[in-house]
Amino acid sequence: MHSVHTLNVSPTDTTTPAAGALPSGARDVLPVEAAELRGVEDALRGAFARYGYREVRTPVVEYAHQLERAESGGLDRAYRLFDEAGRVLVLRPDMTIPVARLIATRLSEHPGPIRVSYTGSSFRVPQPGKPVASEHRHAGAELVGADGPEADAEAVLLLWEALRDAGLAGARIGLGDVSVTDAVLGGLQIPVDARARLSKAAEDRDLVAWRAEAAAAEMSAPHQELLAGLPAMRGHAEVLETVARVVPEAAAACDRMVRLLGLLDQEGLHDAVLVDLGILRDWSYYSGLVIEAYAAGAALPVAQGGRYDGLATRFGTPRPAVGFSIELESLHRALAGAVARSGLDFGVVLVGGLDDRLAQAAEIRSAGVPVIALSASDRRADALAAAEGWRFVAHPDGQALRIVDRADGTEFVSMRPQEDLPSRR
Amino acid sequence: MPLGALYVDAIALLEAADVDVSPLRNGGRKLVFDAPDGTVFITTRPSDVPTYVEAGSADIGIVGRDVIIERRPDVYELLDLRFGECRMVYATAAGQDPTPEVIARLGVVRVATKYPRVAEAHFLATGRQVELVKVTGSVELGPLVGLADGIVDLVATGRTLRENGLVEREEIFHSSARLIANRVSHKLRAEDIDALIARLAQAVAAEST
Repeated sequence: MHSVHTLNVSPTDTTTPAAGALPSGARDVLPVEAAELRGVEDALRGAFARYGYREVRTPVVEYAHQLERAESGGLDRAYRLFDEAGRVLVLRPDMTIPVARLIATRLSEHPGPIRVSYTGSSFRVPQPGKPVASEHRHAGAELVGADGPEADAEAVLLLWEALRDAGLAGARIGLGDVSVTDAVLGGLQIPVDARARLSKAAEDRDLVAWRAEAAAAEMSAPHQELLAGLPAMRGHAEVLETVARVVPEAAAACDRMVRLLGLLDQEGLHDAVLVDLGILRDWSYYSGLVIEAYAAGAALPVAQGGRYDGLATRFGTPRPAVGFSIELESLHRALAGAVARSGLDFGVVLVGGLDDRLAQAAEIRSAGVPVIALSASDRRADALAAAEGWRFVAHPDGQALRIVDRADGTEFVSMRPQEDLPSRR
Repeated sequence: MPLGALYVDAIALLEAADVDVSPLRNGGRKLVFDAPDGTVFITTRPSDVPTYVEAGSADIGIVGRDVIIERRPDVYELLDLRFGECRMVYATAAGQDPTPEVIARLGVVRVATKYPRVAEAHFLATGRQVELVKVTGSVELGPLVGLADGIVDLVATGRTLRENGLVEREEIFHSSARLIANRVSHKLRAEDIDALIARLAQAVAAEST
């Protein structure tokens, strides 16, 4: 019943894998986890549906050159294979780009704005020495063809509601904006090579290197102070007001974000949101807002997203777009740490349900109670109920059923189990 | 908290920044220490510090830049703590540097190191082919017994190199202790971490004047 992680085969080990071993980073999902993941996915889908985001699906394999068009270097850790003509295929390493391709190519006649959601797995070769899976299940939403802070606000609000519906109390949403950083660097006339070094430092989340680079730039003291501290600036609207005051060239970008914050305040998200100008995504396609969501108990953000107005252009249909993607395993891990398991599953192991008591089994199922049927001669009812965590075990007793409630160990005889069992819920 | 060379200085700096480090002072063989204010200190090998921080077992950590560059953890590097200063260097046996001759005749230089990524990147950047021998202790032994032509290692004073008849040939980078933070803790505990950074920055500035 236990999946043993050490049986995973290292990518550098060329010996034949032991029986039952899986490729590095791959794993099975067993019933308890599968049921919980299903519950999380259903909650997220419910939130997406409430806002009118309709579900789409994309294939697991795509042409490498199609996806590379969206982001050079984005396929670094993708699994590659060849088709029969020798063309390079990849297992999709991310969901956002295939969905952007779908919208740009299949929905190009749509009047907009387009609201789509998705749930699916993407694949990345695991990095040696890091406990990271190769398959990642994501649920996300994209709002395409709507510009302005109002659209950004809907994305943030939907993300927050989706996480709340999944059971995550106290998620914190970090908001950065690459256009603010861009406008500051432009306004301060940072030369191209220094910008490249700053952007590298930001991608590496290396604030020490950023400050060293800022200290080497020649500019007035207030400008230098702002630049050095920029990726460490966080708080709320006051952060953007400071930036706009010191670097007027960034005022427009800051104002847009202040308007976004105003909208989120109206929705009661003031305390859930943290402006953090150090959130700069490694991926080059973000053009404005950058979103990350955090939960206690998850070592990485449970969701990431932002605005990428340039992405659709690369597939031929220019349209502004904002969206996010929730990492399901990561979210589930945070939830598992916060919420205890509910205990026994509501269902009855019915001895004779496979043969002597077929009609009774059908009646109980019609009443909405799962029946796990055994043949009348089967002696494994108790062991099965214990292994799978079912609450009731029932044995025939004349015309009636003798039922053990494993929640409290009590035993009762029931003539009408299709009524007595549901009443114990 | 990194055990070893950085440990004493790390405790002193935290103390100067008004962090209660008293539980760390009389620990014996314990690895985890609870301070009265609720802080939990985890002590570990320096090279494992980024692992614990990246996985979120620790919110923040203190570790040398050498380890960060070698391990490339996905963490925030927040502050240069200015102690544990040392340099990553390429060194070979005293006398004529054998490297150009070895590369000319054999095409490749053999280097023993605990830092294979750093060494590989350095030789790649300087356009030379390299064969790396990964060792886990006393790298200086390599050139002395013919295991390797040279070593890539960290030096503080250079005394170990000198005593083993080695000479520094190339400097690769400067290192010092850094404050790092888990990506999620850095946001969920933003106020706590920013306050600590401010106090540490003050203590670092006071130290260096």
